[in-house]
Amino acid sequence: MTVTDPELLVAQRYSLASTRAAVTIVAAWHLGSDLPSTIIGWSTYRWPLLALAAWILYSVIGVAASVVLLNPGRKLPFGPWPAAVLALVADAAVIIACRPEAVMTAANWGWGSVGWLALILFWPRRTWPRDLGVFFLANALVMLAGMAVADSLHQVWIGKFLVVLFGSMVLQAGASAGAHGFDLAARWAADNSRTLARAEAAQRAAEQVHADRLRRYAQARQAAAPVLTRLAEGANPSDPDVRHACAVAAARLRRLIAETDDAPNPLLHTLRACVFDIEKRGVVVHLLTAGTVPPIPLEVRQALIEAPLEALARARTQARVTLVATANQVIISVLSDAEEFVLPAPDGVQVATQVEGGLLWIESGWTAP
Amino acid sequence: MDRERLDRPVKLAVVEDLPVVLAGVRSWVAADPQKRVEIIASGDTLEAVLDGPGADADVILLDLELNGVLMIGRIPELCAQGRRVVVYSVHEDEETVLNVLKAGAATFITKGESAEHCLETIVAVAWDRPYVTPTMAGALVVADASTARPMLSAREREALLLWFQGMNKQSVATRMGISEATVKQYIERARIKYASTGRAAPTKTTLLARAIQDGLITPADIIEYQSRAAEGGQS
Repeated sequence: MTVTDPELLVAQRYSLASTRAAVTIVAAWHLGSDLPSTIIGWSTYRWPLLALAAWILYSVIGVAASVVLLNPGRKLPFGPWPAAVLALVADAAVIIACRPEAVMTAANWGWGSVGWLALILFWPRRTWPRDLGVFFLANALVMLAGMAVADSLHQVWIGKFLVVLFGSMVLQAGASAGAHGFDLAARWAADNSRTLARAEAAQRAAEQVHADRLRRYAQARQAAAPVLTRLAEGANPSDPDVRHACAVAAARLRRLIAETDDAPNPLLHTLRACVFDIEKRGVVVHLLTAGTVPPIPLEVRQALIEAPLEALARARTQARVTLVATANQVIISVLSDAEEFVLPAPDGVQVATQVEGGLLWIESGWTAP
Repeated sequence: MDRERLDRPVKLAVVEDLPVVLAGVRSWVAADPQKRVEIIASGDTLEAVLDGPGADADVILLDLELNGVLMIGRIPELCAQGRRVVVYSVHEDEETVLNVLKAGAATFITKGESAEHCLETIVAVAWDRPYVTPTMAGALVVADASTARPMLSAREREALLLWFQGMNKQSVATRMGISEATVKQYIERARIKYASTGRAAPTKTTLLARAIQDGLITPADIIEYQSRAAEGGQS
């Protein structure tokens, strides 16, 4: 699984830290407490080699459980419960290795310690509290049986049994609950952070959409307002000058509508839309293209198309429109019978013009920076 | 082609499946005051035209799409027989144009520019002289820009671009601050550069030979273009 979410990554690191801590506690306990108890109690065992074998069995289970816990892709061959039963067998083996009188001494380290193994065996399971409870109960029963066989069910020994049992259970269950709580807190924090980031992104997108709308509104206003104002003030619609101004405004509005359409080639799409509108006015337009338009930003497209659009809008009867595109250059030209006009000079593009033989030639070019 | 051709009209064979287009070609030929071209055969398949009276045509005017089939694949065999082929079509995308030229056709005319350029093209091709229609000019500019080692000079490119944009040669000359003859030379030289790439054909050889005779290029130029073409520089 690849994790790309930074928050999730942080949460996973927290999880890893708490599992490492659990593995370290188990190893430290087994090496720092169980091993010295075995060595110091060596002479008190009936069968010291059995105690050693139990210690080794405990170690093997511990290593296997640790490897599985630290590598989430791996699993114990038969699941955690057979390993837990083996741990109880090791526990019983230590009890059996002890002489009856030594059952309640430190030499019988198994029953107080196997809970740590259970901690890491059941760690990844959702049902870990129940599993741990069942295991603790089984462990207590094994020990009680051992005490009964050793004839140690005196009040004093029962008292000591309860103290050790509760002491170890509180430590082991407490460690598990604490670490799992820590893990949960990290995941909550990650979830919250992700929700917050999503909300922020949505807000930014909404702001961007709003800003775009304002910008487009301003452009639409700029395109249409002057000519509408002139008409409102009583300008004569049959005046050629007013008609040209209307045509230019209409072409600009058309461009605004077309330029945000989702088309594979937005520049050509916008150009075609404008040509289509102008043809409807009875102007014969010949549109020729050569080459593939590279991806260019919206502002550049707007700047590039501005002068040709006005020339097209002002064409009286005919226009030849060409679009030549290479990987790093786009050139739009219009050759038409429009009258000469004041050329717009948008930023970032080069506009050239020439009048000859009654035809107006306009070229608008953009070269990749 | 030898000098005697100066004294008689160019013999043209037209391969076209639409009678209305054929009628249009006939009217342009008839309207030429100098009567430079004569249609000696016409038909809707290559066989019908070339196996009959069209066998000695100087130039074949070939519609690229006959009865719904593209004729690009037939052009190399015609050129290998030494026939001069002028292709005309409604298709005007640069890929089609370049494929037609690579196949060996002398010129490509779109149906939109036929009226203005058809006769001029046929006469130029009959004399083994290059003729570049505006559509071809656009295709050459784009093709040259997309090669690893462009062959066109900046001035040749500018002349082709203005020609594609629809200016006449006089306007191109004004724009570039040069004479009309120089504009013509730039455009024709660009065509020659691209004629010397791709598949060899007798028609290309005569085109190049005539270009050298006319002083448009030198033999050294041809070797240069061919070595570039051999490197796979052209698209």
